Amino acid sequence: MIYAILSVKKNPGKLNALLAGIKGLSGVGLYAVSVNKITLAVCDMNKAEIIADKSCAIEYAGIIETLAQQFTLLPVQYGSVMESTDTIKKMLERNYAEIQQNLLKVENKFEFGLKVFCDSEKLMTELEDANETVQKSGSEIKNSVFREYVNQKLKEHRREEMLLSYVDSIIAEFTRLLTHLNTINKIKKMASAKNIIDAVFLLKKNKKDEMVQAVKDFQSKYPRLNFILTGPWPPYNFVDFTLK
Amino acid sequence: MHDNIIDRSKDITILELLDRVLTKGVILTGDIVISVADIDLVYLGVKLMLCSVETMEQLKMGNPVPKK
Repeated sequence: MIYAILSVKKNPGKLNALLAGIKGLSGVGLYAVSVNKITLAVCDMNKAEIIADKSCAIEYAGIIETLAQQFTLLPVQYGSVMESTDTIKKMLERNYAEIQQNLLKVENKFEFGLKVFCDSEKLMTELEDANETVQKSGSEIKNSVFREYVNQKLKEHRREEMLLSYVDSIIAEFTRLLTHLNTINKIKKMASAKNIIDAVFLLKKNKKDEMVQAVKDFQSKYPRLNFILTGPWPPYNFVDFTLK
Repeated sequence: MHDNIIDRSKDITILELLDRVLTKGVILTGDIVISVADIDLVYLGVKLMLCSVETMEQLKMGNPVPKK
């Protein structure tokens, strides 16, 4: 089983010492498999022993977190296994350039997650009350069931557009706020009816306090929205390649 | 919201962690052997439901999960 791909530029002995002190899933020892300056943290695993439950996944993530505190790494998705160290080395050789580039991108950085929740129906109603165009759209076409249906759909469409426009403005404002932190952002709008923004940010480790303050300031400006900031995390969302 | 803006509530953290470790990170195509059919995810009241439940369903059906 593979836990993470690490950059070990100097002192590979430090990684070996760290791995010697960590137990993998089912208490199995961890070790390193390396090609040049890229190392995988792995453990031997009988496939039949892999248990798909929450506690194993959490334990696995905890091991990655321990490694991430001391090394630049790319976390590997839970349940990733390869047959042998030879297979691993061949895979590393095939993908060396992409992995190295990605490791450089995340060096000395970590990830924060930000989710913004609201009652979107209530918000749409508030936006609608402030927007005459949407209010008028209900009375444009009259006098038949079909036309009422079209009216209704038109009104719903405009309400949704209004909400999306509002979300876009929030995102634009927040990303402007973060410009000085040089974050790399990945933002999803309307992940669900209540989750209007689902974002992850990659930033330098020494910018953590500024990130937190930026979100605090933003929260106080938008008290109707519920901000959930989590992190710091290893860069799970900033893996830019698929291994071949 | 909260004075402590980084949400430390255990349930939210666990959900965020599971979402990352189960659906993000480096993917070995063709080599994932774990079935995640029985992961028990926490539903946090009426205000939050993280997208991992849908992602879990996708994984159960063997569908690729679109990345962010």
